[in-house]
Amino acid sequence: MSTLLTYISVNNGKIKRSSLEVLSRCTQEANKLGFKSAALIIDENATQYSSQLGSYGLTKVYTVEGPSFKNHLNTPVLKALSAVMNRVKPKVMAFASTEGSKDILGALAANQGIPALPDMSEFEVTDTGVKGKRPVMAAKIISNVEAEGDSVIISVRSGSYDLINLPSEPEVESVEVDVGEDETKSILKEIITASGDRVDLSEADVVVAAGRGVKDEEGQNLISELARLLNAGIGASRALTESGAYDPSLQIGQTGKVVSPQLYIAVGISGAIQHVAGITNSKVIVAINKDPDAPIFDIADYGIVGDLYKVLPPFIEELKKIKGE
Amino acid sequence: MKFYVCIKQVPDVSAPLQIKDGQLIQDNDRMILNAYDASAVEEALVLTEKHGGEVEVVLIGPEKASETIRKALAMGAHRGTHILITEKQKIDSAVYARILASYFSDKEYDFIACGKQAQDTDSGLTGSMLAEHLKIPYVTNAVGLDYENHHLTVKRQGDIGQEMIELPAPGVVTCSNDMNEPRIPSLKGIMQSKRKEVNTLTPDELGMKMEDVEIKTRILGFEEKPGRKPGKKLEGDPDKIARKTAHLLDEEAGVL
Ligand SMILES: Cc1cc2nc3c(=O)[nH]c(=O)nc-3n(C[C@H](O)[C@H](O)[C@H](O)COP(=O)(O)OP(=O)(O)OC[C@H]3O[C@@H](n4cnc5c(N)ncnc54)[C@H](O)[C@@H]3O)c2cc1C
Repeated sequence: MSTLLTYISVNNGKIKRSSLEVLSRCTQEANKLGFKSAALIIDENATQYSSQLGSYGLTKVYTVEGPSFKNHLNTPVLKALSAVMNRVKPKVMAFASTEGSKDILGALAANQGIPALPDMSEFEVTDTGVKGKRPVMAAKIISNVEAEGDSVIISVRSGSYDLINLPSEPEVESVEVDVGEDETKSILKEIITASGDRVDLSEADVVVAAGRGVKDEEGQNLISELARLLNAGIGASRALTESGAYDPSLQIGQTGKVVSPQLYIAVGISGAIQHVAGITNSKVIVAINKDPDAPIFDIADYGIVGDLYKVLPPFIEELKKIKGE
Repeated sequence: MKFYVCIKQVPDVSAPLQIKDGQLIQDNDRMILNAYDASAVEEALVLTEKHGGEVEVVLIGPEKASETIRKALAMGAHRGTHILITEKQKIDSAVYARILASYFSDKEYDFIACGKQAQDTDSGLTGSMLAEHLKIPYVTNAVGLDYENHHLTVKRQGDIGQEMIELPAPGVVTCSNDMNEPRIPSLKGIMQSKRKEVNTLTPDELGMKMEDVEIKTRILGFEEKPGRKPGKKLEGDPDKIARKTAHLLDEEAGVL
């Protein structure tokens, strides 16, 4: 029986929700077509996460573990993926679209000699492969695409599918993959993470994003205060990651991350297409901008036309009252 | 140090575009050097200016795309190679990577740089596919590069932070536009670019028969994105509209 295999991304000791979204979709497709849905975890302590996969209708969880998989580095991950794919021969190898999966998708496709469809917003499994939709031209339009092959690699944007609840007791199978030291030619020297408490932006339920209009510390303090109050992840436009005001990993958009929160608040952001490319999966968009013609208002559910320095203090105060703070 | 940079001509995504019968109608006059590739060219120039060496750009595209090679030459790249395909040949990332791999198979180089993705398709596959075909190490999504003792130190933007990775030569690196601000060609640069050598080849001459190439991914057509509609726009006294929005988020949108 054919298998739809989903790669489970683990970051900072947590399974990424976006990979569970993909897993949920794969299980639905597998059940529709009479295939098996299985998951793959590649991590230093892969087995420890398998118990968290009990509600996705899985028949099997494959694990590859060992010290080589402590941090993401493409050579070991590719070796593990190829080993598992050669063994399972999945009809679909599915990933959540993350910096980790973007790093290996092409190499894996070339290694296996099979097609890849990256960054899909919808997909379905067909007799001949996979078809679906991908946002293109800075996510301005949708491209309907198709890949043909006995095995196809895909990645899916965060927020594209809801999680399912389908209890099952998957069998856990560990796959041995040895990565010799001399095999890994590039060496990871160091990981630099920004200080302070960080909500994973691509998973956050609420995101507060700052743009060029936030021009000083006073503005940044207002952003932090609003984010704290709403338990939100802080994001930024390219203008502010470029200037160094915010950490580069907080950039949202075509170059940066795609977010899919319930609530997105854009503060002093004009709404350039490359920024908007990362936020249209948000449920509710609020924009605060002093220019009534700013393009961000074309996509905002609630637009506040005004100076952010005058709008944010009463906005924060009122939210505190509502929240009972 | 020999740097190759793979570049692509793409439509300007900020130009108005139209979909007619599932086809994308683009203004052929608004074709540009892919922004991510421009950052790759810039970085290769900076490193070779500092450490010595040469930058050669390689482009796969139709006749018209030669203007994009000129652009890179005007920025300062030393020479270019144009691998000519026709407008009609709809090839995917896998085929781009194959053509590039056959081109590089007999070349000597330290590093090959590419943009991390093309601005129009956002696929981001070609660079790592190429590295896999060439069986050399690679790093994607570079936001900073440095060169020392025959290896690059790459600052890569990862999921949870920035990873500092040592990439030995020969290797492939794919570049983010967060790395630098690509230079605008000077008048002198533009004049000089006209005298620089551009070598034109066909896939056929590289031993690739385009008729026989199997393309496994296809675009079936384009459609409008189900758009978001503008909602409520509040203007007037900042204090009032701010407080009102807070209540709308709570009572109407239900997202607090
Ligand atoms: C290939 C490519 C990829 C890109 N990728 C990204 C990406 O991933 N993410 C991204 O964000 N950008 C990206 N960009 C850049 C993008 O095009 C814009 O330049 C950027 O988003 C602008 O940021 P901004 O809205 O903060 O600044 P601006 O466009 O300068 O807008 C600032 C806004 O703040 C408002 N403002 C100013 N002062 C106040 C005040 N006191 N109160 C209220 N409002 C105020 C102004 O009215 C204005 O609308 C990319 C560009 C390219 C070419």
